[in-house]
Amino acid sequence: MSAARTRAGRPLLLDRRDLRLVGRQVGYEQLAFWRNPLGAGFTVVFSVVFLVLLGASGGKSMVSFLPGVKLIQYYVAGFAAYGVMAACFNMLAINLVLRRELGLLKRLRLSPLPRWIMFSGVFANALIVSAVQVVLLLIVGRYGYHAHLPHQWGALVVALLAGVFCFTALGVAVSTLIPNQEAAGPVLSIVFFVLLFLSGLWYPIRSGSALAKISTWFPVRHLITATFAPFHLSAGASPWAWHDVLVMAIWGVAGVYVALRRFRWEPRRG
Amino acid sequence: MASVVVDRLTKHYGAFRAVNDVSFSVEPGEVFALLGPNGAGKTTTVEILEGFRSRDGGRVEVLGLDPAHARTSRELRERMGIVLQELAVEPMLTVREVLSRNAAYYPNPRPIDEMLEQVGLSEQAGRRVKVLSGGQQRRLDLALGIVGNPELVFLDEPTTGFDPSARRGAWDLVRTLTGEGTTVILTTHYMDEAEALADRVAVITRGEIVASGPPRSIGGRDLGDVRIRFRLPDRVAFDDLPVHGATLTGDLVEVHTNREISALHDLTGWALERRVDLVGLSVERLTLEDVYLRLTGFEPSGPVGPTGQVGQVVASGPGTGSRHGRGR
Repeated sequence: MSAARTRAGRPLLLDRRDLRLVGRQVGYEQLAFWRNPLGAGFTVVFSVVFLVLLGASGGKSMVSFLPGVKLIQYYVAGFAAYGVMAACFNMLAINLVLRRELGLLKRLRLSPLPRWIMFSGVFANALIVSAVQVVLLLIVGRYGYHAHLPHQWGALVVALLAGVFCFTALGVAVSTLIPNQEAAGPVLSIVFFVLLFLSGLWYPIRSGSALAKISTWFPVRHLITATFAPFHLSAGASPWAWHDVLVMAIWGVAGVYVALRRFRWEPRRG
Repeated sequence: MASVVVDRLTKHYGAFRAVNDVSFSVEPGEVFALLGPNGAGKTTTVEILEGFRSRDGGRVEVLGLDPAHARTSRELRERMGIVLQELAVEPMLTVREVLSRNAAYYPNPRPIDEMLEQVGLSEQAGRRVKVLSGGQQRRLDLALGIVGNPELVFLDEPTTGFDPSARRGAWDLVRTLTGEGTTVILTTHYMDEAEALADRVAVITRGEIVASGPPRSIGGRDLGDVRIRFRLPDRVAFDDLPVHGATLTGDLVEVHTNREISALHDLTGWALERRVDLVGLSVERLTLEDVYLRLTGFEPSGPVGPTGQVGQVVASGPGTGSRHGRGR
């Protein structure tokens, strides 16, 4: 009985069974996400609803200090960035805290499912939820408010992927700092919305202003400006925001460092 | 070859020795129960066997593998199953989804329908986990622990929160498993559970195994240790009684002895001679719970109900003051 179960040497490359397990794990993550109306609503619907509301109230006005840029154009990029942050940072961190405190992480750790497959499922879920929002926002912006699509798609993808990396790492890192599931929602919302405000999500801020100087230290504004750049064609402005991508990468690496050092599989008690 | 070998296992947290020089082995198909108060070290021991916690000293072998060895940890986990104390199931998925998701983690899982049947959740298969009752969630937990068709199962207080019939069902399930040759390591607070399921019991307290053996004979149960009790007669001083090692609680005298014939002879002869009555005289064999309480530093005292529940517990022996539970 035991001889039959003993595995021979593991293949060096990924075996088929593991790839199938990744697929299944992502599938179940998606199932759990879309079945939770609160989670799905807050994350996905929120960004789209905000775009619709802001577009309806002042979408035709122009950004005063950016000639030729309609405010709605800025919001499409801003909420795409917001969508990535909501999925990768907010949703992911709450999810991890909840699962840790419920004992789900411990159970997975004790199952034969390799850790990398579990994390693949969680990260892929955040990526998919981000992508769904970006696509929805582009469609609503384009057909609802005549915003144009990015001039440089590659730059948009690079900016969003840098954001996914940065905020996923920070999401895992911040989950290790939150003591219990009751604290997760409030703590994250406060951190998140203050940073969003400082970073000019609700209204574009002039670079060089005091607000911009503060928010330049945090990755949120960099994701917004990097996402906006591919939409904004003007003399001398590049759609590729490498500086912003670099700052996000640095924050991401810091997040990975904290996450690796502090990650715990079992509930924090006492 | 033994399923589990633990040899001089040691684990400490700073100066606190959570597990101190613990040794035991478990044979294939055996049910081995670890009993002990909270913080005695049983969960720590089990978590070291499961590979969840590291050890500081000693040798551990589980199904021929070292649980601390990262290279073989997946193989080991594929061959063992774990039922945890916590309700740890995704609330938004259905019973069937959770079971088939976890089944895919193992190379040859049990059929899902058979599992649902065995834990009595067939009717709930399509319902979301969050709407299940506490007992149903625990039964799902049990199913998740054995869906991988394991050679070795860890059951950590598997029936806490079960109603009596669910409990019997869980016991039957464990017996089915052992009938198929599965080895079971059980921790429990219920003495009747240990007595009903375990082939061997080890009592662990303050990080050390203080007794081990079959539940019938552990701690001298089979050597005739009996408990003689009666009320202290009026106008008789406790010290005048013709028995050794008696304890007095209120007016209740209690004698533990394995020479009950001569003890009773001395006692009744003395009573006849002094013309006193031994009100409430009773002679009882020690229950597993009595043995357990004695071994873990509590002396049972006070009236004992028909189920062996101890109505009143008095601390005795050295070090009982420091017995507050330490969470892992």
